[in-house]
Amino acid sequence: MTGPLTLDMVAGKMKEFGNSELVRKNRIRITTTPDKVHDTIKTAQAMLGCDRLITISAVDNTRTLELIYHLTGPHRMVLSIAIELTRDQPAIPTTSDILPPAAIYERQIHDLFGITFTGNTNLNRIMLNEDWPANEFPLRKDWKPGPDTFYGGIKVERT
Amino acid sequence: MPEVVVSIGPHHPALKEPVNFKVVIEGEKIVRLELDLSYNHRGVEKAAEQRDFIRVLPLLERVCGICSHAHSTAFAKGIEEIMQLEVPPRAQYIRTIIAELERMHSHLLWLGVAAHVIGFNTLFMWTWRDREAVQDTVEEMSGNRVHYGMNEVGGVRRDLTPAQVTAALERLPNLEERIKKYVDMVNSEETMLIRFRGVGKLSKEEALRYGTVGPTARASGVDYDTRKDDPYLAYADVPWNVVTDTNGDVYGRTRVRIGELWESLKIVRYCLENLPEGPIRVTAPRNAPTGEILSRYEAPRGELAHFIRTNGTDKVERVDIRTPTLANWTSVAICLVNQNLADLPVIVAAIDPCLSCTSRITLLDSQTKKTGVMSFDELIRRNRSRDQGLVRP
Repeated sequence: MTGPLTLDMVAGKMKEFGNSELVRKNRIRITTTPDKVHDTIKTAQAMLGCDRLITISAVDNTRTLELIYHLTGPHRMVLSIAIELTRDQPAIPTTSDILPPAAIYERQIHDLFGITFTGNTNLNRIMLNEDWPANEFPLRKDWKPGPDTFYGGIKVERT
Repeated sequence: MPEVVVSIGPHHPALKEPVNFKVVIEGEKIVRLELDLSYNHRGVEKAAEQRDFIRVLPLLERVCGICSHAHSTAFAKGIEEIMQLEVPPRAQYIRTIIAELERMHSHLLWLGVAAHVIGFNTLFMWTWRDREAVQDTVEEMSGNRVHYGMNEVGGVRRDLTPAQVTAALERLPNLEERIKKYVDMVNSEETMLIRFRGVGKLSKEEALRYGTVGPTARASGVDYDTRKDDPYLAYADVPWNVVTDTNGDVYGRTRVRIGELWESLKIVRYCLENLPEGPIRVTAPRNAPTGEILSRYEAPRGELAHFIRTNGTDKVERVDIRTPTLANWTSVAICLVNQNLADLPVIVAAIDPCLSCTSRITLLDSQTKKTGVMSFDELIRRNRSRDQGLVRP
């Protein structure tokens, strides 16, 4: 599929997964739920010619945690698939089995936001140091460095 | 033969920046790669949420020491789109000139590093000398060699004078000559052909499947280039071509980068000769309305994506930076499989990894356990006392 991708085409294929809207010239945003993420991405790959994952963005909006999967393809249209997750023990099925580049982004988001991607077997630390304390997720809005918490490295007195 | 894990880095002569590879090898052949990037995390995304738009640009510029203009432009153009600002064409042209000069100095630097990795230090010296001509141009225009500080939300901070334009145009013919020489060398020089051909091969299908970006993807025949796909700055007005190659190995990546040097030179020349008259910026409001944008930018290493969310204040709610190097690690791990361990440096260098290296020196006194920052005078003083056999001050 190499022709241009229109909102009608996307909305038609994505009807069962959620609402599609054209947010600017070449961006279509699809809102869906965590349990449908796998099928949404599979449909985007198979029916809408999306062969490339640009990135997975994560946002903490203080009420929920949001994940936005940005996909593109030869049509050069960007499909942004947005999902909201609860802040309490957020978890979502991994998409690294259908989109191999997702694995490293999932690892990064797991490290910084504490979102679990079930099925991803390699969620080791990648951005934070290996002796960073567990259950401290620095990019969450309510995170503040604890005065007595040890965040790894060499213990020093500050001048 | 049993598998052996070789730990390379974070400090290793073959690596230019701190990263740790756990390479699983069987004999001389690589089986698998596991990596750890945690040596450089500085919390820039968190820090960006605390600063207003004026103060966040210099911070984002310091994400990377090579593609500093890429980060500040990607952010500025995202915010401008949310604010619905019409940036004057002269500002867009000046941004394009700096962006392409940045690409040229980055690719020349890469060519030198790649040559150095294979032990071809003559080429390393040559390209880094030629890179100075580009650096001089950038320094004349912006006052800086690395962090140009050209961008602000709404336009650029410095105008180009006719004298600067003439000086920049005068440097181009010599660079053109040198790039021709490199095109020649990469296709005929034995040393490069032996070490680059067939090394780190990535097919077009693999490049697409593993989300490869930038020159690494274009060397495998994937024609994604954000400057064409989602035109920004002045790229829609300028005649230029996307450079691709079908080799898919380190040789192909070298050819793509040299081809891009050529295209960048053409873009810089066109923009300098056709620089529109007019203002260089518009006044931006203090606050941005609520919105979100995925700002895409073709950095020298590949597609850079800034996901920006604003909340109606003068600070961002969230800025999510996806650098091209992070996108390329997946495919590096793939193309290393079944390669010789000795080829690891050149394959890793071929994606031009950039781990955002710049950090300030902090001293730790091992006896008093105190940390602090050393002043330049103190550094000089310590150096001199060392010369006289007095190591401790």
